[in-house]
Amino acid sequence: MKVLVLNCGSSSVKYQLFNMDDRSVLARGQVDRIGMKGAVLSHTRHDGHKVKMAGEIIDHQTAIEYILAILISENHGVLEEREEIDAVGHRVVHGGEKFKDSVIITKEVVEQLQEFIDLAPLHNPHNIKGINACHQLLHDVPMVAVFDTAFHATMPDYSYLYGLPYVLYKRYAVRRYGFHGTSHYYVSRRARDIVGRKMEELKIITCHLGNGCSITAIDGGKSIDTSMGFTPVEGLLMGTRSGDVDPALVLHLLGKEELTIGDMNTLLNKHSGLQGVSGVSSDMREIIEAVDDDNERARIAMDIFTYRLKKYISSYVGILGGLDLLVFTGGIGENAPRVRWESTEGLDFLGIKLDDEENNDTIGSENNISAKDSEVQTFVIPTNEELVIAIDTEKLVNEMD
Amino acid sequence: MTEQLERLVEENAMVRPQGEDVVTVVAVVGGGTMGQGLAQTISQHGIDVLLIEQDQDALDKATQELSDNLDQQINRWSITESDKRAILTRIEGTTQLEKVEECDLLIESIPEIIEQKKQLFEVADELCPPETVFVTNTSTLSITEIAAATEREDQVIGMHFLNPVHRIPLVEIVRGLKTSDQTFRFVQRFAGMLNKTAVEVFEYPGYVTTRVILPMLNEAMFVVMEGVASAEGVETAMKLGFNFEEGPLTLADKMGLDELLFWMETLFRELGDQKYRPCPILKKLVHAGRLGKKNGHGFFKYDENGRKIAGFDM
Repeated sequence: MKVLVLNCGSSSVKYQLFNMDDRSVLARGQVDRIGMKGAVLSHTRHDGHKVKMAGEIIDHQTAIEYILAILISENHGVLEEREEIDAVGHRVVHGGEKFKDSVIITKEVVEQLQEFIDLAPLHNPHNIKGINACHQLLHDVPMVAVFDTAFHATMPDYSYLYGLPYVLYKRYAVRRYGFHGTSHYYVSRRARDIVGRKMEELKIITCHLGNGCSITAIDGGKSIDTSMGFTPVEGLLMGTRSGDVDPALVLHLLGKEELTIGDMNTLLNKHSGLQGVSGVSSDMREIIEAVDDDNERARIAMDIFTYRLKKYISSYVGILGGLDLLVFTGGIGENAPRVRWESTEGLDFLGIKLDDEENNDTIGSENNISAKDSEVQTFVIPTNEELVIAIDTEKLVNEMD
Repeated sequence: MTEQLERLVEENAMVRPQGEDVVTVVAVVGGGTMGQGLAQTISQHGIDVLLIEQDQDALDKATQELSDNLDQQINRWSITESDKRAILTRIEGTTQLEKVEECDLLIESIPEIIEQKKQLFEVADELCPPETVFVTNTSTLSITEIAAATEREDQVIGMHFLNPVHRIPLVEIVRGLKTSDQTFRFVQRFAGMLNKTAVEVFEYPGYVTTRVILPMLNEAMFVVMEGVASAEGVETAMKLGFNFEEGPLTLADKMGLDELLFWMETLFRELGDQKYRPCPILKKLVHAGRLGKKNGHGFFKYDENGRKIAGFDM
């Protein structure tokens, strides 16, 4: 089965075409600057052949049209005709409370997603655009929606509810949803495979540290808590997001700085985090460089980042009642040994101890970085959300037949 | 490069989607405060902007002010450095009116002088493709009369934005006598693309916003003049009493007292009702050169950052 995986953002569409017989990637790429002058399609074939094309791409439908065209083009393509695409898997950010698992996309599903736009105004509208465009172009090819929130649907009520009047939860579905679910799911399964034990008996903590950061406590394969909440702002310090702040502080600042709600939203999402604290960069690599150059604010940013991560890891060991596996993934998790080291330093009493050398040598690749005598096994595992989407898509489409 | 993509589509016998409602390039003619605000807001929503000024000096001034304004917004947390770069990349400044031939929509924000607006639309009518929609940003002049200068009267419409454009989520859409439903729906969708809520109004002096707010500001001045309350008292009463962000006199200073006077006189003349008679204090302040926040002194005094530094005195 050949599955096309699509991730539609506000002005971009990322794609990967999988051959599910051997789970290989036939081609991948992305379209950027949709709706603007000078849109670009970058495409890489499995044999390493690369091509970039620029032109006018007015909307998501045109973008997907071009993606289909390049997949079957004689010079750059990997397919004879577009009918070879057996199914399409869409990454959808928010599944609300309704979708606890991936689903085959029907008219009703799209209608449901429309209702969740309120919960994820920045993402869901574009995800829906992508779905509609594919429907226009590929007609009856089955499509599957895989949700960022779905993996966290197993959180118990005391974990997902805020201490706010219950009626507000009923009225507006305000609760913690969590994100990066596909990534937490993938790396936890991968870690289980590496250690070759049963999921049911494992207690796992997965740290997805990229531009956005979240950490999840997984008990017997199920997410029981995660650091992102109603929106991705909650939890760990991130590149440009604040992570946890006292909500009353937001009210205080609204008055002090005479901000509109929109300004406050930008402040929390774009001006905060590593960027806001350091004034240097939102990129951990540049933060680390600046720390080495004795930049005091970069040092503070770095310390907040690792301190909070350590705080979350420790508390998750508590709620799990122990820990077997700790996993780092995402751009920072995979590539920053220093972050992994500092965020676990002194946690020997919880059974977490890294091997200095293994840790330092592991950059962007899968590896066990724990010390020989560590009770907890710590892994670095590059994430692969697209593969999860492809696998779920294949599974659901097969079940449909 | 574009050819490559088109060839790709042709080779594979694909049909490009029809983009009749698509707005990808908007020409903004006139780079004053309103023109800059429009350019920013439109660009911020992913649409390319041609900002057209009559000469290089005016264009440089507009571009500089726009950039300064964006810096202020970064300091106020509303946008980021990279937002600023993205906004500026999508704005092309030019002094060549001929470039309007590329645009899907043309908005004029030149001075409120009917002859100038008519002349602009007449020239643009020759330059633009037949489907381009013309928008006037006027709040005082007749859309019907401006439209008559073109051969596309059904495609001319008014959009009254309020300053600062990027912050005020409202636009009044004004039909001329011959404006078509299609044109109305087109700009309604365009307003939606800019995240503005549109209110349809009919061609009549002041529309809704100006017509309703002005007599209130004018009345506040009468209250001060008649000694009912001090200027500070009026401010406090209206702010707290009706949950206004700022008091009426501060708002008047912000809008510009000369503008207000011009407006009151227009409403008074056009509608002929005593209730639009400009308050004598307003006239007095304008004649004394106290124009409000923009020159540091209106009802109140302001420092160069626009912060209030002194109370009302006559």
